[in-house]
Amino acid sequence: MNFLAMPASKKYLHPEAIRRIARMELRARTVVEGVLAGLHKSPFKGQSVEFLQHREYVRGDDLRRVDWKVWGRQDRLYVKEFEEETNLRLTLVVDASASMEYGRGLFTKFDYAATLAASLAWLAISHQDAVGCVLFDDRVRASTPSRMSRSQLTSVVEVLETPRGRRTTDFAPVLRGLSETLPKRGMVVILSDLLGDREGVFRGMRFLRQRGHELVLLHVMDEDELEFPFEGPTRFEGLEIPEHLACNPRALRKGYLEAVEDFLSTVRRRCASSKCDYSLVRTGEGVDAALVKFLSRRSLLAM
Amino acid sequence: MPSFDFLPLLWWGLPLALAPVIIHLINLLRHRKVPWAAMEFLIASQKKYRTRVLLRQLLLLLLRVAAIVGIALLFAQPRWRSAVGAFLGGSRTAHIVLLDDSYSMSDRVGESTAFDRGRGVIERILEELVSSRHSHELLVGRFSTISSTDSATPEDLERKETTRWDVTRQMVSPQSVQAIRNEIKSLVVSQSAATPREAILAATEMIGFGSGTSNVLWLITDFRSKDWKVADETAAALRQLSDQGVDLRLVDCAQGDHGNLTIERLDVVGGVSAKGVLVPLEVTVRNSSDRPVRNVSIDFKEDGAARPSVRLEEIPARGISSQRLESIFSTSGSHLISARLENDAVAVDNTRSTVIDIADYVDVLLIDGDPNGGSRTGDAFFVAAALAPGSGVATGLRPRIEPPRALGELDLKTFDAIWLMDVERLDEAEVAAIERYARSGGGVVFFLGPRSNATTINQLLYRNGDGLFPVPLAGPVDMLVDSVEKSPDVIVQDHPVVAVLSGQRNPLLGGVSINRYMAVERGYIAPTGSGLRRLLELRGGAPLAVERPYGEGLVVAFLSTASPTWNNWARGNPSWVVVMLELESHLAHVSRKALSLEVGDRLEVKLIPGTDESEVDFLLPPDGAVLRVAGTIDAAGSMTAELEAATIAGPYAARWQRTDGSEAEKLFSVNVVPEEGDIERIGRERLDRTLSGVKFTLEKAAELRPDSESFAGISLVTPFLYGLIVVLLLEQFVAYLCSYHSLSRSNRIG
Repeated sequence: MNFLAMPASKKYLHPEAIRRIARMELRARTVVEGVLAGLHKSPFKGQSVEFLQHREYVRGDDLRRVDWKVWGRQDRLYVKEFEEETNLRLTLVVDASASMEYGRGLFTKFDYAATLAASLAWLAISHQDAVGCVLFDDRVRASTPSRMSRSQLTSVVEVLETPRGRRTTDFAPVLRGLSETLPKRGMVVILSDLLGDREGVFRGMRFLRQRGHELVLLHVMDEDELEFPFEGPTRFEGLEIPEHLACNPRALRKGYLEAVEDFLSTVRRRCASSKCDYSLVRTGEGVDAALVKFLSRRSLLAM
Repeated sequence: MPSFDFLPLLWWGLPLALAPVIIHLINLLRHRKVPWAAMEFLIASQKKYRTRVLLRQLLLLLLRVAAIVGIALLFAQPRWRSAVGAFLGGSRTAHIVLLDDSYSMSDRVGESTAFDRGRGVIERILEELVSSRHSHELLVGRFSTISSTDSATPEDLERKETTRWDVTRQMVSPQSVQAIRNEIKSLVVSQSAATPREAILAATEMIGFGSGTSNVLWLITDFRSKDWKVADETAAALRQLSDQGVDLRLVDCAQGDHGNLTIERLDVVGGVSAKGVLVPLEVTVRNSSDRPVRNVSIDFKEDGAARPSVRLEEIPARGISSQRLESIFSTSGSHLISARLENDAVAVDNTRSTVIDIADYVDVLLIDGDPNGGSRTGDAFFVAAALAPGSGVATGLRPRIEPPRALGELDLKTFDAIWLMDVERLDEAEVAAIERYARSGGGVVFFLGPRSNATTINQLLYRNGDGLFPVPLAGPVDMLVDSVEKSPDVIVQDHPVVAVLSGQRNPLLGGVSINRYMAVERGYIAPTGSGLRRLLELRGGAPLAVERPYGEGLVVAFLSTASPTWNNWARGNPSWVVVMLELESHLAHVSRKALSLEVGDRLEVKLIPGTDESEVDFLLPPDGAVLRVAGTIDAAGSMTAELEAATIAGPYAARWQRTDGSEAEKLFSVNVVPEEGDIERIGRERLDRTLSGVKFTLEKAAELRPDSESFAGISLVTPFLYGLIVVLLLEQFVAYLCSYHSLSRSNRIG
């Protein structure tokens, strides 16, 4: 299916991915802090102000939430459900710096990250979870606060489609600001290639952890960046840094791969020490496969 | 230094070696641009591997340049050549052709001689050179005409090249080929015995000329064993050329394996060369084949008139056989004797001649130590009686008895031999005169006796071996009488003078009784190489007569008296006369040895200023052509007319006028060097051993097919091809190291 041919609002919703994901046993993914909502109680006892629907009383429901007016008219016990009554407050933090613009196929890294973010948003919304989105480079470029409504997906997509400038990445102030503005604890999913201010990532994540947020880092890397398959005389021009290098890529491949390996090892180690759930996402994989892998990993973590 | 058959291709191809550099520079401009996010990893890699990558790329670039140079070289057809200038000056080859013209090359098989075949080889070389697309120089010389000298200034060499080389150095071209061809056709074999060594040395001088060319030396000869016996010299000369990069091509002109007979010697053997007496001659023939030859007939001529032939029963394989004959000349003067064999493979050595100078009388000087010299009891009397008995017996000898002082007064050169008999004492001038005479080839005989003093002789004449006298003396000794066994007092030794007396039962010597003799110093042993020989020995082993060479001459010492004072030999014993005549003949023969002339020798006539006119006509063989030569006077006032070199064998005559109007004549006999007639071949195996370490090719003249391509040197195409393959394999290996090959996906991350 041609992803580019999709309507703008659905651009990042990969139907095939969504179809596959629907078969998954989502309830298995979380136990206490489930990612997907609706099948169990949330550990976060939020106050709802926006009525959503009635449902029949079942044993165990809080009697304070029984709608006595309905009982008076129909002699049946119904409880009110409010919009704020969610299990998860998910915030998607998407890197929109210049380095995310690399990609040789249909997807740039940003396209891939945005698709993945939208898919996660859809999944969250479809399970009654609140979802918000932040688009950033050296500062926050667009954002939408966490809400649980069907229309929120549109808002997320609008954020993701915000025009991007080719700027550098500056994680630390962005994540610090985020930690200060997020009202409640929740899950923060960062989608980035981590190129640029690497120390700033970990510093920012530390702020978020201090506020009690659960952190998930989806490290988006292009296949080219992981395999470096270039041949022939090539001039590499930096997307984020104003440098270039003319070389025979085959001659430098070994050293490059060693450097990348070293970088990934460092990131994994630092994430582990920061209690951040780290996943390397390759743009060569389908988005659905990346989602399945991510959710499976979350399930394992929850057991 | 390599040269190239297609040099222009090299000039066109070499600039292509810049192609890898240019492609590299173009690639720098044609880099594909890739916007890249992960620059930090790339820069880290570049910093880490920068030096290694640069070195490998530089090596790769050099290998690619080398590969293109190698391909250009291959197309240019490289050849290994010796001359440095070949690279700059094109492919020019100098051919120095040495043609053996010694008379062994006249060896005829069928219709052609070895020399004909050698000449044919040069013609074939010439035809190949003129049709070649390379430039060739040609220089042709015969062994006999070229020779080396120590002075080798450029002027000398140019002069020698012009005067001695048959074809002077010139480029072979369609315009010059006819003249060269005519010159080669006109070459004839000589009668010389020139050797390859001299010719090679002469060629060595010429090779220095054309720097910038490669040299091919053609040695066209018949490879006779005798020419390669002095292996060190010939091989060393060739080795030197080989080391200088000269392409040595040896061509064998000889054909078949057959024998040849050579008259090796025709000479007077003893006797007295005087009119009216028998002059003994001896002819010797050498057989150079592997089989004996029987019934060889030799024809003789005496002053042009035929004489009866003689026949040799058998000449052994690779051996000699001699035959004696005698002749009586009725007139004094020069007489020509010639001998001739039947024709065989080599004709020129089948004839030999000799000139015999016959005198009216041959003067013999007898120095008698007896103050009453010439008395009928003196030593000189008995010797003179033996040499000239008179009463109608002609010996041709004219003894002249003189006292010792005559040694300082007479011209000793006019005497055939000098006999000194029981001389008490000689002064230093007399000793010097007689020693001078002996050194220059004269024969001297000593008889000792009562007046002889051993000490005086030792001091004056022996002088610890430096003097004339053959042995040191101890003093007079009496011979003990052997009354028991009655064995003879004198025992004959193996010597030509007493050969006629040799034999176990000889009644003539049995009657000789020795009473007293001069003993040789006790314990004396002749030094090695002194040439001391015994003629006669006494019973008991003491020497009675000894001989020793002195300079060019011979000295014989009888350690007893000539007169019947210490012995009775001269008293009526016929053997006395025989031995004295044989001894005189033996001494005179020695003095005539130097008269033999060979091809290449100088003919010289000594003229007496005031007596002889200064011009001499030389009559040359074979047809008596006249060459007039003016005499020259040297610093000492001697006048000489000379013919620089006799080029062919045969009788020569020199005639000149005397101032009194009379005519004088001197005959010369010039013969070929007999050793050249030994046509035994050296064979390939022996030649290889002789020329060990010399790089050469050897081909038979009949099979030689000159290839002008090979003249230009050894083709380097094959080695260059292998070299190129190695370079290309290295290039691929280094390219692999530089990661210019297909990508392996094995090391995937994530």
